[in-house]
Amino acid sequence: MAEQNVNLCFRGLRKRLDVSFLLPRRTKWSILNTDPLGRLGAIANIMSVIATHQLTKIYPGGTKAVDGIDFEVNAGEIFGFLGPNGAGKTTTIKMLNTLIQPTSGTAAVAGFDILKNPDEVRRHIGYVAQDVGVDEYGTGRENLELYGHFYRLDGKTIKKRVEELFKLVDLSGYEDKIVSTYSGGMRKRLDIAMGLIHKPDVIFLDEPTVGLDPQTRVHIWEYIHNLAKAMGTTIFLTTHYMEEADHLADRIAIIDLGKIIALGTPNELKQSISGDVVTLSPCAVKDAECKEVIRHAQSVLSGESFVIGTQATDGELAVYVDKGESAVPSIMRILAGQGIEVKTISLARPSLEDVFLKYTGRTIRPQEGAHTTYAEMQRKRMRRQR
Amino acid sequence: MTLLTDIWFQLQRHLRTQIRMPVWIVINLVQPILWLLLFTQVFKSLATLPGLGGFSYLQFFAPGVMVMTVMFGSAWAGMGMLQDIDMGVLSKTLATPVTRVSILMSRVLASMIVLIVQALVIFTIAIIMGVHLETGAPGVLFTILLISLLGLGFAAFSNGLALLLRRAEPLIGIINLATMPMMFLSSTMMATSLLPGWLNTVRRFNPVDYAVVGVRDLVLHGYIWSDLWRSLVVLFCWAVAGMAFGLMMFRVKAE
Repeated sequence: MAEQNVNLCFRGLRKRLDVSFLLPRRTKWSILNTDPLGRLGAIANIMSVIATHQLTKIYPGGTKAVDGIDFEVNAGEIFGFLGPNGAGKTTTIKMLNTLIQPTSGTAAVAGFDILKNPDEVRRHIGYVAQDVGVDEYGTGRENLELYGHFYRLDGKTIKKRVEELFKLVDLSGYEDKIVSTYSGGMRKRLDIAMGLIHKPDVIFLDEPTVGLDPQTRVHIWEYIHNLAKAMGTTIFLTTHYMEEADHLADRIAIIDLGKIIALGTPNELKQSISGDVVTLSPCAVKDAECKEVIRHAQSVLSGESFVIGTQATDGELAVYVDKGESAVPSIMRILAGQGIEVKTISLARPSLEDVFLKYTGRTIRPQEGAHTTYAEMQRKRMRRQR
Repeated sequence: MTLLTDIWFQLQRHLRTQIRMPVWIVINLVQPILWLLLFTQVFKSLATLPGLGGFSYLQFFAPGVMVMTVMFGSAWAGMGMLQDIDMGVLSKTLATPVTRVSILMSRVLASMIVLIVQALVIFTIAIIMGVHLETGAPGVLFTILLISLLGLGFAAFSNGLALLLRRAEPLIGIINLATMPMMFLSSTMMATSLLPGWLNTVRRFNPVDYAVVGVRDLVLHGYIWSDLWRSLVVLFCWAVAGMAFGLMMFRVKAE
């Protein structure tokens, strides 16, 4: 077990060492980032960049936001924390970056205990919150420089890093513009750059693309991907977007109601659902009658030998089968025989959505990022007040 | 050492914000100028009252205007903190190794610097309008010391309240509710000898009054040390109490 961990760390290390080849024009930077002599020992000891032990948070009032979770994040990987709103993602991040204290349990981040050594933890992490926490009235450069000072970098280093980071997040030319003139995507990029100024061992991205339009979202994904692959930064990312986790993460933990219910690579998770998914709906409107029909269809299909499993949701029935192509006609025939008319039917390879459905019996309802609802804003407000 | 540099860099940010939104400074200055210009006209005939000691109402009221400006200016200091909380700037800052207390201290210090500039402008205007300064330039420095302590206390209390309440509505309510009576329950607008007895008792518990008495001595009468010492001690305690409250709220509510 320990040996495996050491191996994983060295894999992370190699990623760091690779940088000079990937970024020939930024050799200096990459050498700084790899710091082979200084970190070799440290990482071999740390093994994992994040390791939690029975991490638990109960808010005043009894809400168990995080319920005794255990997981490890390896050096150099993108670790996705996937779950619906209120699952405990942000609470976990805030415990790991020392903003709130766990009720019980603990964690080691970058080799330091979050309870015993919070200051060292802060020195080695970057945090990009869900809200874009940039100073609206300052310029991009001023924002970045202030963070450089917070991390005790000297003036010369800050100047150099600022230039590099503006290039990295594609904001060159906007350094001296006031942030209130930036677009949402630009602010987020500046926000991410601010979390990187001190070359952290691990960067926490809390819902990095929430509230951004689809194109900007894809852009941000690119930056995150480059960051991990070219610089070897370990990334801990939370999201409630399936496609985001699928696209970015090396490994995913699915969290629901404060517990990790599945953990693995996206492929492993998908393979945990064998075969194909046939999703059908027998009704035009979702009412009580519809529910009844779906329950009926579910009980009928569950008895069939070619059906591996079924899962009913609001207005739809997911049927897991071995061979989708041949199952669809059979399903249609069987249901027709029961007097159930199928209104819509689709066939797909299992997605993370199905994985989530399988483990929780619910679907994640992704809110459309571009439209932040009033309710969502209220929710964010409530979160801050805790 | 890191505390000082942390304060310094955040102080730069706060002052920059102020300078880029000069409308607030202007509003805060227009109000006292209106007090000086209009209020003193309305109450001009008060100068015939015996309690004013033969001074014109303008001369009498100018120190009060100075103190009022400081109070109203620094009492709103918490709004900036509130905005940082709302925008997520505070929690992002707290995730860095920055010295915790520097976050509050830099804000309070920025408020003080702004109010000192405002006080100097009011002094200038008052002198142009014909107010005579009994103690001269050293008196101005002494005045700045007194009102800085007053402003520090208000700014720290206001920041502490912002951290405690976390919402604009109750914060605005409390600031309005607190500052108005603090202004009227003092000798800001009227000589102590002309105030009713109960008010003369109440004002002894009002830090604003100690600032008014001190500054008025310096402007009108010269160094009356019995008054000045008392003002200095009370305002120092007020500033310490404010800072203690602010830091306590910071510890409890932000960390």
